[in-house]
Amino acid sequence: MSALTAITLDLDGRRQTALAAPDATLLTLLREGLGNTGPKRGCNQGVCGACTVMIDGWPQRACLTLAAACADKRVETLEGLAEDPVMASLAKHFAEGGAVQCGFCTTGMLISARKLLEEDPKPSSERVRAALSGNLCRCTGYRKIVEAVQAAGQGLAQ
Amino acid sequence: MRIEGTFPVSAGRERVWSMIHDCAVMAACLPGCDSAEQLGPSSYRVVVSVKVGPIKARFTLLVEITASERPAQLQCRTRGEEGSRASQVSADSTLRLEEISADETELTYSSEVSVTGRLGKFGLGVMRKKADQIAADFAKALQARVLAEPVE
Amino acid sequence: MAAYLERPKTLTEALEIKAARPEALFLAGGATLIAMKNAGLVDPEGLIALEGIEDLRGITQEPDGRIRIGAMTRHRETAASPQLTGSLALVREAAGKIANPPVRNMGTMGGALANADPGADYPAALVAAEAELELIGPDGSRRLPIADFFLDWYETALAEGEILAAIRLPKPEARASTYRKLARVSGDYATASCAVALTADQGLRVAIGACGPAPLRAPEAEADLRGKLHDPAAVAALGAALVALADPVDDVRGSAAYRLRLIPRLLASTLGTLLEREAA
Repeated sequence: MSALTAITLDLDGRRQTALAAPDATLLTLLREGLGNTGPKRGCNQGVCGACTVMIDGWPQRACLTLAAACADKRVETLEGLAEDPVMASLAKHFAEGGAVQCGFCTTGMLISARKLLEEDPKPSSERVRAALSGNLCRCTGYRKIVEAVQAAGQGLAQ
Repeated sequence: MRIEGTFPVSAGRERVWSMIHDCAVMAACLPGCDSAEQLGPSSYRVVVSVKVGPIKARFTLLVEITASERPAQLQCRTRGEEGSRASQVSADSTLRLEEISADETELTYSSEVSVTGRLGKFGLGVMRKKADQIAADFAKALQARVLAEPVE
Repeated sequence: MAAYLERPKTLTEALEIKAARPEALFLAGGATLIAMKNAGLVDPEGLIALEGIEDLRGITQEPDGRIRIGAMTRHRETAASPQLTGSLALVREAAGKIANPPVRNMGTMGGALANADPGADYPAALVAAEAELELIGPDGSRRLPIADFFLDWYETALAEGEILAAIRLPKPEARASTYRKLARVSGDYATASCAVALTADQGLRVAIGACGPAPLRAPEAEADLRGKLHDPAAVAALGAALVALADPVDDVRGSAAYRLRLIPRLLASTLGTLLEREAA
């Protein structure tokens, strides 16, 4: 049984510490160590995208990231983006546009979509699909998600 | 998955038959074989280690001979696991020895193998390639041994 | 369970740690190694992260015009690199076809090559580009043509204790090249792939991926095609030569028989597209 160590992260703008195994993934640390259950454990293989979080400004897989390797990185989850206007627009359009059914893929989708709108506030549907190609959804069939992302971008332009 | 092949051995059928029932010979010729022991009149325990990239798997297999027609053919059932039951293996195999001449036998094997658990989950197509390589290396090793120990 | 994660700041430090702890595994982007670890397929005693080593990062042009790609360069960076143009565009295209955006933010060229998954995208593109690899170990550094790097299924020429430090590409030329990938769905490993680069002497270099333990390349058959790139019979002959070298697996992405049928068709189609692009 390996000794637990204290791992400190810059998480959502605050230094936060939790005990974890040296090889614990960021996903485990967030959900079980810090009570941040936004990112979900879907496949634990980096394929489904439900664990996607922002690390140093780029969407990455928390299930494939070692928590101990994040000590000097900026980690952002949905909790920390609550005040972000782009995320607010996305959340509104997802909720109102029928882009959320069970919600399991949603946090990952929002992180990936946030990055896209940061780079291109008026993406074509092809561009949206490409940007979200790493986030799988079993409920919606994707169309409402794509429309919500585009609507959110339009909403920001106003 | 089906694994099958055929290879020549420079010895008569009786001798080949004896060799493949000899644990010491099998352990020496099977690549990655850590041990092979006879448990009963027709059952054996074989431990084989296989490495693919960074993945190391140690299989503990129980081989039961279900039909035997010396020196022409045998059938056996193999059951086993690796990684403390992380994967399970089962195989039904047939081994045929055809006499080419007094000193030449053609050995044909055909095995229906199934792997479940952590190794089976990922549909590793490379497993068959690895199995083919092991079989080919076994054939070479068996042949080399036969040639190195001529019968009086 | 891995008991420790070392985070060296220099190559020397990383090599020293590995020499002292040979049972530890080097960790690049983690896109493959951590996935394997999560699945219980590997269980390293410890990990040595290469992420903090400056020398392993970045895409730069050397004085002789060659392009040096640090082994820890993320796929996203490679896919966006303005240096990978013309005859090197195929490497940029291959990077952009790996998995999906979040995985491209994590995975690295060095990690992908060291893993040598037969279905990976870089190997075929780098073989067609005639890349050279720089390997650094306790005994010093050595250069290796990529054609000599892939030895067997998931097996490379990396010696125990060695790190793949950089990938070097020839100076980019103003000639068309491309990487074409056939996969079941977006982001999947290739069922088969084709990397083609046109050369100065009205010839080409071609590598086929996902059809064997290493990319397939038939330089003699390529030479026969010089000046005859528009001749279907000549192209078919190269296709046949590549099929003869193939050793594909049967797996969920396609049967071996299907992959063999794909090779000549993929070659003809990719070359056709490239010739149209060159003419335009």
